[in-house]
Amino acid sequence: MEFKSEFFRSPPTPVALLPYGMVRYHGAPADLRDIPLGTILNIKAFLPPDPKNSSVVTTPNHWYPLPPENHAMLIEDEPSLCLREGKTWRLKEVDMKNDQGLVVATCESKDAAEAKAPEQKMTLDATTRFWRGRESLKLADLIAEGTWPASGKKSLGGQSVLLGLCWKPCPDGIFVRYHISDIWLDETSTQRAIQSQTEVHKSLIRSRWMPAFVDNVEYGKFGRAKVTVTLFGGMDPALYADFKKGGQTAINGAENTLKHAGGSYGPAHMASKGPILEVVKTSGAVPMGSSGVQVTMETDLIIEGIRPGRVVRIRASDWPNLYVPREEYIGDHPSVEDRFPSPALFPRY
Amino acid sequence: MAHSSSFIVLCSWLLALGAYAANEGQGTKNQEQAPEVFRPVAGSFPPIEKAHTYQGELAFVDHANRRGSIRVQGPGIFRSTEPNPFTLLPYGMVRYRGAPAELRDIPLGTVLHITAFLPPDPKTSSVPVLPVDNRNRDANHRRGVGVFPAENHALLVEDEASYCQRMGLTWKLKEADFQDLQGTMTAALERKQGGEKPVEQKLNYDHATRFWRGRDCLTLTEVVAEGILPASGKKAMEGRSVLLGLTWKPTPGGVFLRYHISDVWLDASASERAAKVQAEAHKTFIRSRWVPGWVDSVEYGKFGRATVTVTLFGGIDPTLYADFQQGGQAYLNGAENTLKYTESGSAGPTQMAARGPIVEVRRYSGEIPTGCSGIQVRFETDLITEGIRPTKIVRMRPASWPDVHLPREEYINGNAGNLEERFPTPAIFPKY
Repeated sequence: MEFKSEFFRSPPTPVALLPYGMVRYHGAPADLRDIPLGTILNIKAFLPPDPKNSSVVTTPNHWYPLPPENHAMLIEDEPSLCLREGKTWRLKEVDMKNDQGLVVATCESKDAAEAKAPEQKMTLDATTRFWRGRESLKLADLIAEGTWPASGKKSLGGQSVLLGLCWKPCPDGIFVRYHISDIWLDETSTQRAIQSQTEVHKSLIRSRWMPAFVDNVEYGKFGRAKVTVTLFGGMDPALYADFKKGGQTAINGAENTLKHAGGSYGPAHMASKGPILEVVKTSGAVPMGSSGVQVTMETDLIIEGIRPGRVVRIRASDWPNLYVPREEYIGDHPSVEDRFPSPALFPRY
Repeated sequence: MAHSSSFIVLCSWLLALGAYAANEGQGTKNQEQAPEVFRPVAGSFPPIEKAHTYQGELAFVDHANRRGSIRVQGPGIFRSTEPNPFTLLPYGMVRYRGAPAELRDIPLGTVLHITAFLPPDPKTSSVPVLPVDNRNRDANHRRGVGVFPAENHALLVEDEASYCQRMGLTWKLKEADFQDLQGTMTAALERKQGGEKPVEQKLNYDHATRFWRGRDCLTLTEVVAEGILPASGKKAMEGRSVLLGLTWKPTPGGVFLRYHISDVWLDASASERAAKVQAEAHKTFIRSRWVPGWVDSVEYGKFGRATVTVTLFGGIDPTLYADFQQGGQAYLNGAENTLKYTESGSAGPTQMAARGPIVEVRRYSGEIPTGCSGIQVRFETDLITEGIRPTKIVRMRPASWPDVHLPREEYINGNAGNLEERFPTPAIFPKY
């Protein structure tokens, strides 16, 4: 975490996603598994909803003022934050020395009325990727083109770009200076990055099902019930559009980690199946974490995992019937740790 | 009498203990027929021909301790197979996209080829120690034989592209079939020099697959628009030669195992550019973390002076080794088997490092074992410390590399460090 002290000394602070916590990477929906280690992330988080069942530590570190708000509602990388907040990085100047570049830039609002942003210094080097249209360029390519200096200073004229940021150890006793991992030089390259990540995440959600929580259950006879769920937010709109009135659907119980219940026979085996009776889109402001889409379905197999307030996963009728890997479901004879992961995984520094 | 009884009981107990120890992890009652149990020893690179090799999907990474879990490919149902913990030997090498890498560079889900040994010292293994013949045991529940190998200390971890380049293999695409947002590619992994006809395999691809050509990164839609792949239905690919990046995704149709194509490098220019980018990433990494090696010998002088000979570990870009020049200055610091620094703590690795001039840089003649660079560096210092003893792991840098501080999880915090920091236990891995 970034403090007003030397960044490298800060022990990594554990973080968990709320069931409806959203991840954004390259301006698109993502999963934590999509984000490379070292990526700079912006986090919006809360205190643990239930400290007894927290999968991350609830007691603050004695030395560093780590925030107790470690249950994340939103985790996003730098391009995602900039795109959401309507900001852009403006490159002022680069100074190249021994294949290392020092970039001076400002992160500005596209709204010209906002106050002038402070200048920041960031490093780049031969590992930095430059994206232009459909090209993936190296620093050497730009130097060869003459758009970037091989050595010395060059004014970059406030060029508007998106930056991917990471951190690397940096010399000269500097508390924190981020490193530029990626530069998207134009709108086309940005849109292509968004599209690429969106496809990755769509594929994931089609196989793992849409997370949601149960709003309401109207119990019928002999195990029948009408179940209304609110789909969680942060997905590509095309996935929500797959839930259509009249289509068949399946709901399976899940834990707060979004692990499927139901064991090794796959999520569809024990899922409650039935027709979609209604799909309602919320009018008005939609809270963060929610999609604003409610689905009501009818089933003849109402089970314990499908109670109001419980987290579930729901599948649209034309999504493939797949099995998820072992670590993504609760086994038939689970340990308590399987269901309620403890913070024991995290090292203490 | 009482003493005699105690003696008999003690002997029986020792006999029982001996019998238990002899059978521990062997899985066979006949010791004479038991296969040779080979474990790497400190100060010696193990012969790669004694390694066990397997492949599977990277499912978990603890990068600071250079370990993770891999879902090992076996004859059974892949998805049901619990990820098997593995760790890197101190001289274990990682290759990604045909270039040197670290575990932190490899995305989760990537299919990896592993060349590994039994734990050198089971008592201090940072991953669970399994019976030595576990690779021959059936894991039951239709997971098959060999999915939990005891050989979980890796000498070499490489992705598909790196493996193909090292082995002189190429994927030949035979036929593409695209339906319902999902493509199936029939392909064969062939030797570039030819040879016996390989078995055709089916792989999946979809709109998340990246296609690299020259310096372009293309989408499936663009490749389809160019007529390289079909928009729907089948198309013959006429044995087009490519490099593939492989991952695993759940597969429909009850298929036990089918890998997914994450990346296709359509030409040599594209694959060389990928290797170059990864090589640069690793060069930057090693410059800040220093080159790992071990101490071959120490010639002690007076008042803490010594001449230390170090063998640098392999798997690093050649330009980095070239920075060690006779007459130049160097720094040497103690490290653990995880390659975490032991000295200096939060003050940075340079502060407590032994420093001095490089007296000699020698290159091995003859065959260089995997894990070794084939380069020995002798240097003289006036600060010989406990971490710099023969066979101990160290990290070394030429003085021209930057003096930087490392993140908290990559060093042991001096006297305040706890035992777990120095000898990570397998407790981090879930038990299913």
